[in-house]
Amino acid sequence: MKLSEFIRPATLAEARKALRALGPKGMPLAGGTALHFMQGKTPVTAVDVTRLGLSYIRQKGNYFVIGAATPLSDIQRYRGPRWAMHEICRRISTHQIRNVSTIGGNIARVFPWADLPVVLLAMDARLVIYSGKEKEMTADEYFSAQPARLFRGGDLLTAVKIPVLKAHHGFGSVKVTRNAAAFSLATVAALLELKDGVIKAARVAAGSAIPFPQRLKPVEAALVGKEAVTAVFKEAAAAAGAAAKWVGGEGMSADYIRQLAEVSILDALERAAEFARGRAE
Amino acid sequence: MTTTTHTVTFTINGEKKTFATRPDEKLLTLLRREGYRGTKYGCGQGTCGACTVLLDGRATYACLLYAMQAEGRKVRTIESVGTFDKPGEFQKELVAAGAVQCGYCIPGMVMSATALMETEEVFEDEIVKEYMDGNLCRCTGYEKIWVALRKTLDKQASAKPAAKKTAKGAKK
Ligand SMILES: Cc1cc2nc3c(=O)[nH]c(=O)nc-3n(C[C@H](O)[C@H](O)[C@H](O)COP(=O)(O)OP(=O)(O)OC[C@H]3O[C@@H](n4cnc5c(N)ncnc54)[C@H](O)[C@@H]3O)c2cc1C
Ligand code: FES
Ligand code: FES
Repeated sequence: MKLSEFIRPATLAEARKALRALGPKGMPLAGGTALHFMQGKTPVTAVDVTRLGLSYIRQKGNYFVIGAATPLSDIQRYRGPRWAMHEICRRISTHQIRNVSTIGGNIARVFPWADLPVVLLAMDARLVIYSGKEKEMTADEYFSAQPARLFRGGDLLTAVKIPVLKAHHGFGSVKVTRNAAAFSLATVAALLELKDGVIKAARVAAGSAIPFPQRLKPVEAALVGKEAVTAVFKEAAAAAGAAAKWVGGEGMSADYIRQLAEVSILDALERAAEFARGRAE
Repeated sequence: MTTTTHTVTFTINGEKKTFATRPDEKLLTLLRREGYRGTKYGCGQGTCGACTVLLDGRATYACLLYAMQAEGRKVRTIESVGTFDKPGEFQKELVAAGAVQCGYCIPGMVMSATALMETEEVFEDEIVKEYMDGNLCRCTGYEKIWVALRKTLDKQASAKPAAKKTAKGAKK
């Protein structure tokens, strides 16, 4: 992205005012790691959002609240009760990228291979948007289409709220790559609520191998009310094929990618169930 | 021709300086232009690690960072770690292990290792791998770099009082 100007507002209100005035000639800049790759013919004014006090992680009631400008490495290092976000963050790119790129930058403009939208969809996260005042929306609404739509008027993402997992709730995520730092071939995540060995509720999401991150509702439907055992997980994972449009690439056929996603879902479900039964912290 | 229309002020290797720049100049370009040539340009797209510098103590790719993002921060380059005449501990071990071939990746490797040594107190393999996962070497196959790093870390760990040996930063 070509930058014609670079400004560092001191408050959220100032940042929004500047972005509103700039319109399409302005762009929020967090870590700047994605901006580097964005193609735009006309240069824009970068509005630095890393100096607005938006870098923090706090537990507040039933949620972990993560500031939008929090770098991925901080999320990876953080530890809280039944915390599960560190695993996926550790799997994103390299140490140097994780130190700079932010959770907000990863989800404000979603690229097909982005990992965090998958995890946030499965976790039933909530997103906080500032438009003069703060408003919240569910991950389902937020990721129902390209989130960049929400920020065109100068509004900003300020925080991501992640439910603190209750007892008997478990989470698992799997990212498949060719080598450690590569972009994902398939990323899947699952949240399970168990009661006496039976699945009471399930949220399963996928990304990277499909055009846009999404929940896999047929997989969820095949889980609820059933016993949390491998045979059930396998059958549910097999429903993934019809749940989304799987896309091949890098010499791999769509069918291969679908199979990869299915075994990854199985793995994520096993991990979520193990977590729900009481994982070692 | 670079038209420098803006200024940016940050601490570079302990010295506060103001540089002329423009809004879309990358920190790497500015540093090399200003004589900090130890920081290398490899891929220019955040994958090789040759341009690694420390930003407020954290390893960062200078090829992705806009120079303007460094305002008010502390930047450290390889020049702050060692020189040809006075190499740092890891640099000495790299030479001793014969771990350097073309040498292009080495400043970046050393900066990532510096972040590791200055942040962590326990150097388990998992943590070491995490800090070093953003630096590629196209010559050596990593083995000797790893050997040199292990030696440096083991020395540093044994020099520290045992009471301090609890992990504080990155956990697995
Ligand atoms: C080499 C490389 C490998 C990568 N691999 C992966 C990977 O495997 N998986 C993965 O998920 N990601 C990967 N990434 C993506 C990386 O995580 C993103 O670049 C990063 O998340 C963007 O964060 P940033 O803070 O740098 O955002 P920026 O580049 O600053 O911004 C990105 C976009 O979000 C907007 N934005 C930022 N903050 C806000 C806000 N608070 N409110 C509204 N809009 C905002 C910006 O205007 C811009 O459009 C990789 C990136 C690189 C460079
Ligand atoms: S030059 Fe910056 S990562 Fe390769
Ligand atoms: S020694 Fe040549 S790239 Fe590492």
